[in-house]
Amino acid sequence: MLKVTGLTKSFGKLIAVNDLSFTVNEGERVAIIGPNGAGKTTTLNLITGHLKPDKGVVEFYAKNITGLKPYKICRAGIGRTFQIVRAFPDFTVFEHVLVGAISRYGLRAPTDLLKRQVEDVLEKLGLNAKKNTLVRNLTIVDKKRVELATALALKPKLLLLDELMAGLNPAEVDEHVELLRRINEEDGITLIIVEHVMRAVMKLCNRIIVMHYGKKIAEGTPAEIATNKAVIEAYLGEGVPYA
Amino acid sequence: MLRNNRNNEHPEKGLFYSKTIRFLSIIIILIILATLPLYASSYVIFVTAIALLYAMVVAGYDVLLGYTGQLSFCQGAFYGIGAYLSAILTVKYGWSFWQALPISVLFVGLVSVIIGYPALRLRGAYFAVTTFYLAHFVYLILLNEVAITGGPLGFRGIRPPEPIGPISFESIESGYILILFSFIIVYFLLRKFVNSNVGIILKSIAQDDILAESIGINAAVYKLLAFVVSAIIAGYAGVLFAHFFRLLHPTTFSWFLSEMVVIITLVGGAGTLIGPVLGAGIVIFILEFLRFAPEVRYVGWAIALIAVLMFEPKGLIGLIRRMRRG
Repeated sequence: MLKVTGLTKSFGKLIAVNDLSFTVNEGERVAIIGPNGAGKTTTLNLITGHLKPDKGVVEFYAKNITGLKPYKICRAGIGRTFQIVRAFPDFTVFEHVLVGAISRYGLRAPTDLLKRQVEDVLEKLGLNAKKNTLVRNLTIVDKKRVELATALALKPKLLLLDELMAGLNPAEVDEHVELLRRINEEDGITLIIVEHVMRAVMKLCNRIIVMHYGKKIAEGTPAEIATNKAVIEAYLGEGVPYA
Repeated sequence: MLRNNRNNEHPEKGLFYSKTIRFLSIIIILIILATLPLYASSYVIFVTAIALLYAMVVAGYDVLLGYTGQLSFCQGAFYGIGAYLSAILTVKYGWSFWQALPISVLFVGLVSVIIGYPALRLRGAYFAVTTFYLAHFVYLILLNEVAITGGPLGFRGIRPPEPIGPISFESIESGYILILFSFIIVYFLLRKFVNSNVGIILKSIAQDDILAESIGINAAVYKLLAFVVSAIIAGYAGVLFAHFFRLLHPTTFSWFLSEMVVIITLVGGAGTLIGPVLGAGIVIFILEFLRFAPEVRYVGWAIALIAVLMFEPKGLIGLIRRMRRG
């Protein structure tokens, strides 16, 4: 469903993403991993239109969406969350998710339809008890959930999650992995996650793309990646003798 | 912040204790305003009419500043364009007020689209400065195009609106009633607008337009919509002003008016609609009370403004809400 070909983006002399190509098929759960500064977030921003690539093509369902405005890419069916949590602080949780539903179903959508959609999503993410809480009063973890809930209210076909698990304890990570698995299997939403929490990546994803200095250095199943020499070198440095 | 954690109620809940009290106070205020011509002097009526015109302009402006989060300084320009265009159409071309009114308002809307479309590509202060120059540009035209606007001599001979059936708008009282009626309708429509789905989208853009864009909202279009709505209402109030006051002078429409609109909105409490309206009433009357001492007027006003922004940045409405919470 998503095909990225030869994607390149430089900031000054730094090549953040260098000739990156990959495809994602419908129903997959793909992780993009790599050391800090590998270009993972830049890749997401290039897909969602928050940055324009210098070179390369992003195709979504065989349609060229390269460099379109973010709202158009969202309407095409790609939702996302941000690495540094973004939320509307002065909304209640309910209102926050409602904006997503309005965006999806249009300004003239009947109120009860919108309400039902929002409540479904809140129920699924376990946010029902907090629906009248102001977003500014939530913890970071809950803010991320609200961001995810809002993205889900858009009923995307593809969801890009940027470090959703950062700062969670192991139990919460497992809970989120379960949640994402359900979103993927029950709602049929394809997932691309950028993540440092390997516990989540290994449990959740069926394919991993490894980036280093803007390039793709490996791609495969979790088991393949865990034993890949290039990946180990990228994380630990070349020629490190194994103790 | 921590103290507020327990108080998780919806922030929009009630300016007053209950809906009944709120409803009653609105009725009482409306009755006082509607019966004003029966007992008040024409001076009081006149000042109240000006306050109502300001209230309309700031309520419209609140859609842009309070709800959509875009600071602009050009409501005076739209007010002036509406006033002068309607005056020119009626006096020089013999149109009736009722013909000139919609055309003038439409024209103001058109100007706001032409200005707003490119200007809103700029963010924050850059947008604000651009609109500031628009306001000054319009003022300079009003001042210098003597053949069209009368320049510093002013524009004279504007007639009151033509009567509709038996209702005449000749007297100051009837003009006042027309303005009051307009204000009620404008306020009602704006309230419906900001409470609609569009309103909630505008509020989301004010808080984080990048996030709004990434959830499928075309922020540029909504910002333009808010800009045009605020402009049209300022233009409409300007038309009413021209035919109520019947003498136009460029200084009325200088940057000072635009700045007053911003200040009233902030002092009243941006993003509440009712706050700026109350602010307009209070500010206009305070300025009138201080008329005996013109030197003190704006100094006192400036001190009051600084005090409000230091002690209650959410404006009068914020103060009332805080008092309510105790």
